[in-house]
Amino acid sequence: MNDRVTTSAPAAAPAAATTRAGAGALDRIAPYAGWIAFALALVLLPLVFRSGTALTMMSLMGINIIFSLSYNMLLGQTGMLSFGHAVYFGLGAYFTVHAINAAIASGLPIPLFLMPLVGALGGLGFAMLFGWVSTKRSGTAFAMISLGLAELVGSSSLILRSFFGGEEGVSTNRTKLLHVLGWNFGPQIQVYYLIAIWCFICVVLMYALTRTPFGRMCNAVRDNPERVQFIGYNPQVVRYVPFSLSGLFAGIAGALSAVNFEFANAAIFSAVQSGNVLLATFIGGAGHFIGPILGAVLLTYLQNMLSDITDVWQLYFGLMFIAVVMYAPGGLAGLIMMHRTIWRAGVLWRLGPAYALMVVPVALVGGGMVLIIEMSPHLSVKEAEGSVMSMAGIHFDARSWQPWAPALVTLFVGAAWWRRGWRRVGGAWDSAQRIAREKGLLV
Amino acid sequence: MTTPPASPIDPSAAARGVPALDIRGLRKRFGPAEIIRGVDLAIPSGERHALIGPNGAGKSTLFNLISGLIAPSAGEVWLHGAVISALPAYQINRRGLSRSFQVTNIFRRMSVWENVRCAVLWAKGERYAFWREIDGNDDVTARTHQVLTDINLLARKDIPAGVLTYAEQRALEIGITMAGGCNVILLDEPTAGMSRAETERAVELIRRISERRTLLIVEHDMSVVFGLADRISVLVYGEIIATGTPADIRGNAKVKEAYLGEEAH
Repeated sequence: MNDRVTTSAPAAAPAAATTRAGAGALDRIAPYAGWIAFALALVLLPLVFRSGTALTMMSLMGINIIFSLSYNMLLGQTGMLSFGHAVYFGLGAYFTVHAINAAIASGLPIPLFLMPLVGALGGLGFAMLFGWVSTKRSGTAFAMISLGLAELVGSSSLILRSFFGGEEGVSTNRTKLLHVLGWNFGPQIQVYYLIAIWCFICVVLMYALTRTPFGRMCNAVRDNPERVQFIGYNPQVVRYVPFSLSGLFAGIAGALSAVNFEFANAAIFSAVQSGNVLLATFIGGAGHFIGPILGAVLLTYLQNMLSDITDVWQLYFGLMFIAVVMYAPGGLAGLIMMHRTIWRAGVLWRLGPAYALMVVPVALVGGGMVLIIEMSPHLSVKEAEGSVMSMAGIHFDARSWQPWAPALVTLFVGAAWWRRGWRRVGGAWDSAQRIAREKGLLV
Repeated sequence: MTTPPASPIDPSAAARGVPALDIRGLRKRFGPAEIIRGVDLAIPSGERHALIGPNGAGKSTLFNLISGLIAPSAGEVWLHGAVISALPAYQINRRGLSRSFQVTNIFRRMSVWENVRCAVLWAKGERYAFWREIDGNDDVTARTHQVLTDINLLARKDIPAGVLTYAEQRALEIGITMAGGCNVILLDEPTAGMSRAETERAVELIRRISERRTLLIVEHDMSVVFGLADRISVLVYGEIIATGTPADIRGNAKVKEAYLGEEAH
């Protein structure tokens, strides 16, 4: 969460007695406006975006929001870099698949809606087990242990075939459980709402955790684990608790994924899965509670859209990650918060001209890079398919020099232009921040 | 459970003559080098005790040993009549001993308010609670408010601690140290790097917070030491060569030769 959220001040003075009852009620719900908007969005989105593709994608977004937020309990809140978060997601998924199959086999009347609790327990249990070892260390040692544990579980999943089902995995049928209110979870829309409800519950719970004494001590351990010992806290315990809880929420995300796909296989433990949640969290912004939500939504969208358009979509992810690390280490949320301060100071318009001048160089650099990136695989991995390709309706041969020359020229001209434009952006920022500082909005 | 809420000076223990802090035959060896070479020192409850000595005498190492940051090679440290030298730092803190650091050691990305509040939480029984809202504990809020008033940082409470001025960070360092209400306070060069005026304010603050508490302070500024301390110990090459009132120490020939000689022209 935002590190500067807190004031001790009691909530705003009670509404004056003369206020009309209606206004009083409005005041009472005002602090929850964001939550109400979030809930409404979850309910209404499938009415706006009705296509099957959109429903599938929004279901994945809900799952990834939970997964990324659970990851940020470690990365952003407690300062623990994990390379193996997919372990708890995957175990949550497997436990859920087996639980659904067991419920079907035994005929126990358990509704599908409660199945994520199985994933939660699976994730929590194994996080408590593995965390017992890994949270004894922090920093690089913790990161390495997390990587080792991910390898361990990943390779076990190929060996212990009775539980993990090897590469084929284990499948299930979500429609065969007890039907409540006539919902059989055949149609994707019903699965979407199941995911949306769990997503809302998990987001509220994880936000609430940041507002507790424990949540605050996580931040303290992130900032300075040594000092924490001298205010009475054991930093190992402060690492262990969020690790366990983050396993719980990752387990719920995995369970929802199992419900969504009716399937889990060994790929769920892959390093790609652990890497994606790191990318989503970092690109969204680990320093703010909302960051991982933005990151999960954006990356899920790009993953689905880009993979339709290009074969090398992961390369674009990588480039985006590098750009964020280098130019916006606070992620999307960090950028938004920076601009919010400037907006509050009433000088956001000052950035306008500088930003406008960046449009052309950004387009040139982007265009040049895309062209080069798209042509490259035609010379290497896709050589067999021939080197003739088309972009934006234009056909050309990736092996001739004609498309390469304009691509390189565009890239270099754009880069030079970028450097000059960027200096202007820097200048505009400096002056806007100076004004914000004078108004006491920035320190 | 294990921790009685730290309160200023336990009257019964003090009445029985049990020192608040009792260091017995303490030694610390790093490889072949012995940095602390048999330190004995008893500090009665309520005393302001200053530890002085030339650079490299082992003052900070002694603090690290007492507060549990490092383990002694031999010897014991007793706090209110119980051995603490085998305990981890956080348990020593829960038993009522708190320390500051020579190099400012705060939570830089968190607000000033949160810095102090975190230091209050354990003493107010919040422990690792993840089922209660932090703002709901009025006791914690009141204590945090009190400490921030004491260290004169209330107006800066919403700022990230990392952007405070140096003197403000030093004040916050003291605030974090005293916030939990520990009754034995160790301050490691609290006024280092401060201007004259800042030092005076800091000394005033230290004097106030050490009322009804036991204080052990490492300090290089002799005017601070002689103005503040009830008794002074002189540490040279890992050994205490003299302990006594400021007047005793001023008149002590060994101390003059070893240490004060260079400073008191």
